[in-house]
Amino acid sequence: MNDASIYIAVAIALATLFVYLAARRKQDPAGADKARTLISSLDIEAFRNLVDPEEESFLRSNLTADQFRMIKRERAWAALAYVRILFRIAPEFTHFGHALQSSSDPRLVELGQQMVSSAVNLRLYALEASTRLLVVATFPHLAQRPPQFLFEQYAHTTGLLRSYGALDRARKQYS
Amino acid sequence: MHGYRFLLYYLWIAPHILLALVAIVMRVKRLDVSFPLFAIYTWYEVAEFVLLFAIAVTKLIQGMLYMRVFLVTLAVSTALRFGILQEIFNNVFREHGRADAIARVLLRWTTGILLAAAISCAIFAPGPTSSSLIAATAWLGRGIAIIQCGLVLFLLVFSRLIGLSLQSYVFGIALGFGILSTVELANWAMRSGDLTESTRKALDLLTTGSYHVAVLLWLAYLIVPAKRVLQHADVPAGDVEQWNRELERFLR
Repeated sequence: MNDASIYIAVAIALATLFVYLAARRKQDPAGADKARTLISSLDIEAFRNLVDPEEESFLRSNLTADQFRMIKRERAWAALAYVRILFRIAPEFTHFGHALQSSSDPRLVELGQQMVSSAVNLRLYALEASTRLLVVATFPHLAQRPPQFLFEQYAHTTGLLRSYGALDRARKQYS
Repeated sequence: MHGYRFLLYYLWIAPHILLALVAIVMRVKRLDVSFPLFAIYTWYEVAEFVLLFAIAVTKLIQGMLYMRVFLVTLAVSTALRFGILQEIFNNVFREHGRADAIARVLLRWTTGILLAAAISCAIFAPGPTSSSLIAATAWLGRGIAIIQCGLVLFLLVFSRLIGLSLQSYVFGIALGFGILSTVELANWAMRSGDLTESTRKALDLLTTGSYHVAVLLWLAYLIVPAKRVLQHADVPAGDVEQWNRELERFLR
C-alpha cells in the first residue's frame, strides 16, 4: 500500500462518517414520548442514595474491606445506569427547548433558550459523572464525590419544564 | 473527449451559479448577519471563478498567469474556510457558557493535534516526487485538508456528544466543508505524485464534482425548511401534565 492509498482510504472513511452523521441526524426521533418514557424510568431518590457519602461511610464501617469494595463497585455500576438515563434525557430537553424557540410568544422563546443551555449543561455533568463513576467502579478504594452539580442541574432543567407547564396552563385559562 | 470537456465545463460553471444562489438565499434569510465569513466566501468563490474562467477562455491558460492566480486565490479561499469553521464554532457554542468554554479548550487541543499530525505527515511521508509547482502545492494542501477534515469531524462529533442539535443550515455548511475536505485530502495526496493524463483528468472531475455536491448541500440545507423534531404546539396538553406529574414525584 503506497502513501497516497492510505490518504485515500482515510478520506473515504471520513466521507462515510460524515454521510452517516447526516443520515443519523435525519433519524433522530421526536422528543416528547422518549423524554417522558425516560423520565418515568428514572428514580432520582434511588440514584441519590447510591452516591450518598453517608451511606458509603455506613457501609464502610459495617462491612469487611473485600465486601465493601464489592458492594461499592456494584453501587457504582447501578449509579452509572442512572447517569446514562440522564445522559439520554438531556438531548430530549434540548429538542424541546429548540421547539419552544420557534414560538411566537417571547416568554416561550426565552424559556426555550434557557432549556437548551440547561440541557447541554446536564449532558456535560452526566458525562463528567459517568467518568467519575467508571473510575470508582474500577478502583473502589478511591473516595467518591457525589455528583451534586448533576442533581442541581437536573432539578433546574426539570424546573424549566414545570415553568412551561405553568405557562401552558395559564395560556389555556386566558384563551 | 467531447463528453469529458462538456462535463468538466459543467462541473466548473454550474456550482458557481448555484453558489451565487446560496449567497442570495443567505441575504434574503438574513443569515449573512450570523455567518458573514461564509457569505463573503460564497461571493469570493464566484468572483474567483469569473476571474479564472476569463483567463481560461482568453487562452491565457497556457501561460503561468492562470497558475499564479489559481494559487493565490486558493490560498485566500483556504484561509476563509478556516475562518468559517471558527465562525460555526462561535455560533454553535456561544450561548452555552460551560459548553462554550470546554469547546474552546478542546478546539485548541484538536487544532494543535491536527497541526502536529499534518506536519508529521509532511515530514515522514515521502515528499513530492515531482518538482512541479502543483506537486509542491499538493504537499501543502494535503496537510491543510487533514486539519480541515479533523475540525469538521470534531465539530459534528462534539456537538452530538453534548446533545446539541445544530440548526439545519449550520449542519449543512459544516457537512459541505467536510465532504469537500475529504475529497481534497484524496486529491492532494494523489497529486503529490506523478500522474498520468487520464488520472489527472479523473481527479479534475472528482474535485469539481465534490465541489458541486458541497454547493448543492449548502443550497438544500438553506432552502429546505428544517424538519423540526418537535413543535411546542405538537406536545399534547396531556403529555405536559404527565411530565409535570413525573417531575413533581421526583421533587417531593
